[in-house]
Amino acid sequence: MPAMSEQERRPESDGRDFANAAWSVPSYILSGIILYGGGGWLLSRWTGVAVFTPIGVIVGVVLAIYLVYRKYGR
Amino acid sequence: MKALTVLAADEFKAPGLELFDLPPIIPGVTWFTKPVLLALLSSIVVIAFCWSAFANPKLVPRGIQNIGEYGYMFVRDQVARPFLGKDADRWMGLLLSLFFLVWIWNLMGVVPFLQFPIASHIAFPIVLAVSVYVLKIYLGMKHQGGLGYFKNMMFPPGLPKPIYVLLAPIEFLSNMIVAPFTHAVRLFANMFAGHIILAFFSAVGFWFLFEQLTPLGAPVGVVAVIMTIAMTAFEMFIQFLQAFLFALLAAMYIGGSLHAEH
Repeated sequence: MPAMSEQERRPESDGRDFANAAWSVPSYILSGIILYGGGGWLLSRWTGVAVFTPIGVIVGVVLAIYLVYRKYGR
Repeated sequence: MKALTVLAADEFKAPGLELFDLPPIIPGVTWFTKPVLLALLSSIVVIAFCWSAFANPKLVPRGIQNIGEYGYMFVRDQVARPFLGKDADRWMGLLLSLFFLVWIWNLMGVVPFLQFPIASHIAFPIVLAVSVYVLKIYLGMKHQGGLGYFKNMMFPPGLPKPIYVLLAPIEFLSNMIVAPFTHAVRLFANMFAGHIILAFFSAVGFWFLFEQLTPLGAPVGVVAVIMTIAMTAFEMFIQFLQAFLFALLAAMYIGGSLHAEH
């Protein structure tokens, strides 16, 4: 019977992954924005080139989405 | 009640932060305000409810035990099992208490005459969120090892090596700072905004129907009263939802600490 119990367990653990991912996304994106947006902002202040702040924010969002995709996406 | 006295002036003034700035109940005892009293009352309500529901269980549940078991099954099936799997039963005590306590806290916002959602003072959700946070870190270190916990958290398997440099800080910030912060703020902000919305529509209704009754203003007042009733119903849904989410996130954090992901 081990094969069957494994099959029974599967949907539950898939559901857990999905729920984990769904509730982690805002937290990850916020973290990405704070971290890389903040880094960009510091760089902007340091160099005087304003464009680093929006670049940092975008990089942060992209990295956070990539992280969620790699962790839960497949 | 305070919101209504503001309207004695000539001009309508929407209720604002003064709603949350309550004087001490006993003069001189500065910490003992209405939310503290209601929080104590909520604890007593939850303890009394759980006591009467679960202290002396019958095989065929009746009365309060019946209601209690509905609540228990809801928390077990919707909150605990999806995130904790076979560990669910061990954590039901905590999760059920959290769910009931936060729900009663929130319901205080629509109980006539009490009418103050306790979580709209951010200190209250912070205490619960910090407790869950400490528990999460303790369990993580206990079950995955002091260093292993942080390693599993910051370096999830299956990513290309160089990318860890960029992603590990996001993981750390998200799990250690942003997650507990949003855990508390989500509950606080919903209750805070809900209380202001209810106070606003009540104040508009009171203003146009009692303070400044005019033929043109009366319909606005009637609409405001209808909106107050509708928003109260909506608020009760939000109160339940936020209590559910608070317990659900607690279960998710605990589950994440018990087992490393994948």
